[in-house]
Amino acid sequence: MEIANSKLGRILMVEDDSKDVELTLTALEEYNLANEVVITRDGEQALDYLYCRGAYQTRSTGNPAVLLLDLKLPKVDGLEVLKQIKSDGELRMIPVVVLTSSKEEKDMVASYKLGVNAYVVKPVDFHEFVNAIKELGVFWAIINEPPPGSVRK
Amino acid sequence: MPRPNLQLQVVHAPVLRYGLAAVSFAMTLGLALLAQHYGFRNVEVPLFLFAITVTVWYAGSGPAILAVVFSSLAFDYFFTEPRYTFYVTKSEIPYYAVFVLFALLLAWFAAVRHRVEAELLQARDRLEIEVTERTQQASLLNLTHDTIFVRDMSDVITYWNRGAQELYGWTAEEAIGKKSPQLLQTVFPASVDDILAELLRTDRWEGELRKTKADGTPVVVASRWSLRRDEQGRAVAILETNNDITERKRWEQEIQSLNQEIAKRSTELEAINKELEAFAYSVSHDLRAPLRHMAGYTELLQKRASSGLDEKSNHYITMMLESAKRMGNLIDDLLAFSRIGRAETQNTLVNLGQLVREALTEVRHDTEGRDIIWKIGTLPDFYGDRSMLRLVLVNLITNAIKFTRTRPQAEIEIGCAEGNGNELVVSVRDNGVGFDMKYVNKLFGVFQRLHPSDEFEGTGIGLATVQRIINRHGGKVWAEGAVDAGATFYFSAPRPQGQLWR
Repeated sequence: MEIANSKLGRILMVEDDSKDVELTLTALEEYNLANEVVITRDGEQALDYLYCRGAYQTRSTGNPAVLLLDLKLPKVDGLEVLKQIKSDGELRMIPVVVLTSSKEEKDMVASYKLGVNAYVVKPVDFHEFVNAIKELGVFWAIINEPPPGSVRK
Repeated sequence: MPRPNLQLQVVHAPVLRYGLAAVSFAMTLGLALLAQHYGFRNVEVPLFLFAITVTVWYAGSGPAILAVVFSSLAFDYFFTEPRYTFYVTKSEIPYYAVFVLFALLLAWFAAVRHRVEAELLQARDRLEIEVTERTQQASLLNLTHDTIFVRDMSDVITYWNRGAQELYGWTAEEAIGKKSPQLLQTVFPASVDDILAELLRTDRWEGELRKTKADGTPVVVASRWSLRRDEQGRAVAILETNNDITERKRWEQEIQSLNQEIAKRSTELEAINKELEAFAYSVSHDLRAPLRHMAGYTELLQKRASSGLDEKSNHYITMMLESAKRMGNLIDDLLAFSRIGRAETQNTLVNLGQLVREALTEVRHDTEGRDIIWKIGTLPDFYGDRSMLRLVLVNLITNAIKFTRTRPQAEIEIGCAEGNGNELVVSVRDNGVGFDMKYVNKLFGVFQRLHPSDEFEGTGIGLATVQRIINRHGGKVWAEGAVDAGATFYFSAPRPQGQLWR
């Protein structure tokens, strides 16, 4: 995404499905949080963003306050992204919330073993979905005190 | 046996032996004197020699020497000139000396011959005893059903028992004299040199051999070899015992191939299970996403356009949302159901009474505003997976609450009874709308419902889940009911050695 090149958001979202992106942004709009979101479409892009490399070479430094991570992603999947973040001394402090369609126990167990901070299953019901996204956004981007080095506005 | 028993005829006691010498000497002397009296000349020499011979033969060399001495003296006294004196004239000395020498020689020859003959006879006796023993042994070997044969060190068969004839089809006459590896087309499991080396080192060898019968049928035998050595310790023969294990080998092979088949099947099952898992995962991920989007966009549409839409259009949007939600529930329930089939059970001793209390807490919000009389009996401990058993109780209790909704006062009874034999039965009874027994078989099917969903909500997967869990615990589920007269659901499980139930 072009706008992401220089943009530094409080929420980094990793989601390959454009409809999910749209619905999530719609939900976050109600709290005026949509502008704080940087969207990456696969695991590789997400890691590029975090490491300021590739298309994100020119972005201003600093970590997002929270990472919303889908598990089923093209190229590098969500669990692999999570693994890399949590094994990197610099990045491991970023709160990571897995946001996925899957209620598979093995995904949940694997995520928690890798040190995920929260695991949220996207509800089918749109009300619930909007509520979940809004609560997530408010909690992690506003209420929660992010680790040092994160973006504060 | 026709041969004379010399052992009995040879005289042993010294008195008798010397007595025999004396008697034969005396009788001979008498005969010689009688012959002389009647004018027969020169009879005494052969008579004395005969007596000496008889003595040496029957009484041995000591008495024979005595007989020679007596005979010489008597010959000198009675038969050489001058008679009746022991004086020997010069001219008679050679004659006399020849007699004595001849007598000694005869005695010596007779003694040697006697000894040789005695030894020969003894050897023959021993041989005959041995032959008898061997014959007896051979006929004993013939009595066994085991296959036994003996071959010399160049593999030539020297003995072949009846068992060998029965197994291989060759008679003893056909087999003896042939080389056994050629006759039986033996296939050895190791090199023959190695086998022989072991045999010579330990005097025995054991192994499985493949051989061929006279009619060409192959046969597998468990073969045991024992080495026979002579008195000097030289290997002279090999006794081989064979047991037919063809049938056993065939079973072993069959079992092996069955095991392979089982291993293959279980690998296949594992693959199928993996596939199912991948399928469930895919359903969980990929099917839910578009559903969520449909619901999401429909709701957004509703928000933006509902004020401009007529009542019917708004109704359509509501139906779309309801359907999406229902489909979401169906997928969730189906996934939960499939997870029960795949999940590992963790069996512990579970207190059912405690579990019922937990289940009642879980379904609390369903009972709000309802008048329900609970009758909960004493429940046993149950050996099983705690969370699965809880799901069983939650499903059964939820059903009971749901289907008594039309009653002003509901009655739900949970109890336990002894079942047939080694099992106990837990029941959940209600006074709800019940069901027609002719549809009882449909109750536990996946997505099977006996009521319209407008009347009683649900996906129709609860009882299928109950059945699946109880089946995994080795038990059964069943139900009794009548239209408008309540329903009772039962589940049972075996009590293995008093462990399952207490």
